[in-house]
Amino acid sequence: MKKWFALAAVIAVAAVVPLLLNPTGYWIRVLTFTLLFAAMAQAWNLIGGLANQTSLGHAAFFGIGAYTSTILLLKFGISPWLGMFAAGALGGLAALVIAIPTLRLQGHYFALATLAFGEVMRVIANVWTPLTGGPGGLSVPFTPPSFAAYSFKQLLPHAYIALAALIIVTAIFEFIRRGAMGYRLRAIRENQAAAEVIGIDTTKVKLQTAVISGALMAMLGTLYAQVAVFFDPDTVFSAAAISIRVALIAILGGVGTAAGPILGALFIIPVEELMNDLFSAGAAGLSQLIFGAILIAVILWRPRGFITLWDSLRARFARGEARR
Amino acid sequence: MNAAALLLEIKGLRAGYGEVDVLHGIDLEIRDGEFVCIIGANTAGKSTILRAISRLVPRASGTLRFAGADLSTRASHEVPALGIAHVPEGRHVFPDMSVEDNLMLGAFTARSASDLPERMQRIFELFPRLRERRSQLAGTLSGGEQQMVAVGRALMLNPKLLLLDEPSHGLAPKVVEEMHDAFVKIHSGGTSILLVEQNVGLALDVATRGYVLETGRITLQGSSAELSQNPAVRAAYLGI
Ligand SMILES: Nc1ncnc2c1ncn2[C@@H]1O[C@H](COP(=O)(O)OP(=O)(O)OP(=O)(O)O)[C@@H](O)[C@H]1O
Ligand SMILES: [Mg+2]
Repeated sequence: MKKWFALAAVIAVAAVVPLLLNPTGYWIRVLTFTLLFAAMAQAWNLIGGLANQTSLGHAAFFGIGAYTSTILLLKFGISPWLGMFAAGALGGLAALVIAIPTLRLQGHYFALATLAFGEVMRVIANVWTPLTGGPGGLSVPFTPPSFAAYSFKQLLPHAYIALAALIIVTAIFEFIRRGAMGYRLRAIRENQAAAEVIGIDTTKVKLQTAVISGALMAMLGTLYAQVAVFFDPDTVFSAAAISIRVALIAILGGVGTAAGPILGALFIIPVEELMNDLFSAGAAGLSQLIFGAILIAVILWRPRGFITLWDSLRARFARGEARR
Repeated sequence: MNAAALLLEIKGLRAGYGEVDVLHGIDLEIRDGEFVCIIGANTAGKSTILRAISRLVPRASGTLRFAGADLSTRASHEVPALGIAHVPEGRHVFPDMSVEDNLMLGAFTARSASDLPERMQRIFELFPRLRERRSQLAGTLSGGEQQMVAVGRALMLNPKLLLLDEPSHGLAPKVVEEMHDAFVKIHSGGTSILLVEQNVGLALDVATRGYVLETGRITLQGSSAELSQNPAVRAAYLGI
């Protein structure tokens, strides 16, 4: 009960924040991308956290999503709302195709194989010019602003859509984590050999997780395309800016927990923006250098993520209560 | 003895991981209620036999029948429901789950069974130490206790056949004894057992019959009494 109340309060605050920001300003944009990246990291958290398979190729699904809805809009005038579901279907299919040969791989090998897959998708998008427009990228065509057309004059609606997406993906994550599938995934994560001999179909559970994760990531790619309005293969299929960043957000926040990706995104995206703001006038690359140093410091300080900060605070609070 | 029905029937089993075969045509039988052991040197392929029965070896051919069912058409996750419980080599517990949760997961494919609390009680009677530690995380238990959890988890299935892969490996002599006493009790309760054991003396003590495996081939078989009198077995495995 108390938990639901706290949850409602967090959502209420999150719903008010966008209204406080200058609707044409810079921070509403940062907020939108923070929410979007939190949702992306949450989608990654299914396979990376619950199945403990560190994917470094989630840009593949993200890019597929951005291109699918935009191409459908450009060529057939299909609303991005519908395009988003086509994106999800294709993203899920791509996840299935890549997961079948790679899920047997453990640890680093899985990470490298998925990283390579993301890069292959980037190359394909760069050379398949008739469909993707090649390295020149795609512009989302202008349509008269309306909700049905997923077209807005301002960023504010995009911020709310990103918030809704984060809530939905987080709800899906929690639903899976607490359900039968989450129980199976936990058994696999804790001891694969033991999970096999008690009759868990480990391959099937991991495949299902990979497909859901890939589908959600692709749908978020559609949301990105609508906010960004213009994108190219090197942006949406980027290993550094998408694949590694979403993994980093989830890991920094607390992998495998619902709050982890949210905490991670709330930290990483604004801090990165701030560093760019403060140091972009300095030597080239200085802001990235400082940002990297901050990330290393945080990981050394909290190797299991920000979420552990919350746990130790709560433990301290509980001790205080007990003393009274 | 021969009157008992055939429980497990293996004929001409060839199995391997990559290109090369690890097992080169194994024939092995277990009748209902038997306690059989497989002995053999390292890398002879003992674990591979158990893994082939559980359908965990990527490549296997030959006849594999269990209680009338053709195992070779089943996937590994379907095997426990047939009544085969496998305790794999090494101490495989779910470390961040309680002892009780570990045991409950053993009945994963029998979740609808109504007698799960009774099954757990029987396991606690067999391994009283687990009752004391029922809410402790399995990862914090001693090696012997973890192995008890692994065996107990397999028993939660109420299996017809229990596959034990070197359950006493690396355990203190006293715990090994405790473990083997438990196996004898499990067997007298009506469960058939196929035991793989490095400690050949102990294996022949508890099992009624045995197979000697050398580089993927069965070279000897017989009752435990016969095997422990066999000069070759005595020289190679009993160090006499
Ligand atoms: N997953 C695997 N991939 C490739 N080869 C394997 C695998 N598992 C076992 N082998 C090989 O198969 C052979 C038999 O292994 P197995 O584990 O069945 O032997 P074992 O008799 O159980 O040995 P030990 O007493 O050491 O447990 C060995 O040569 C081993 O290297
Ligand atoms: Mg072995």
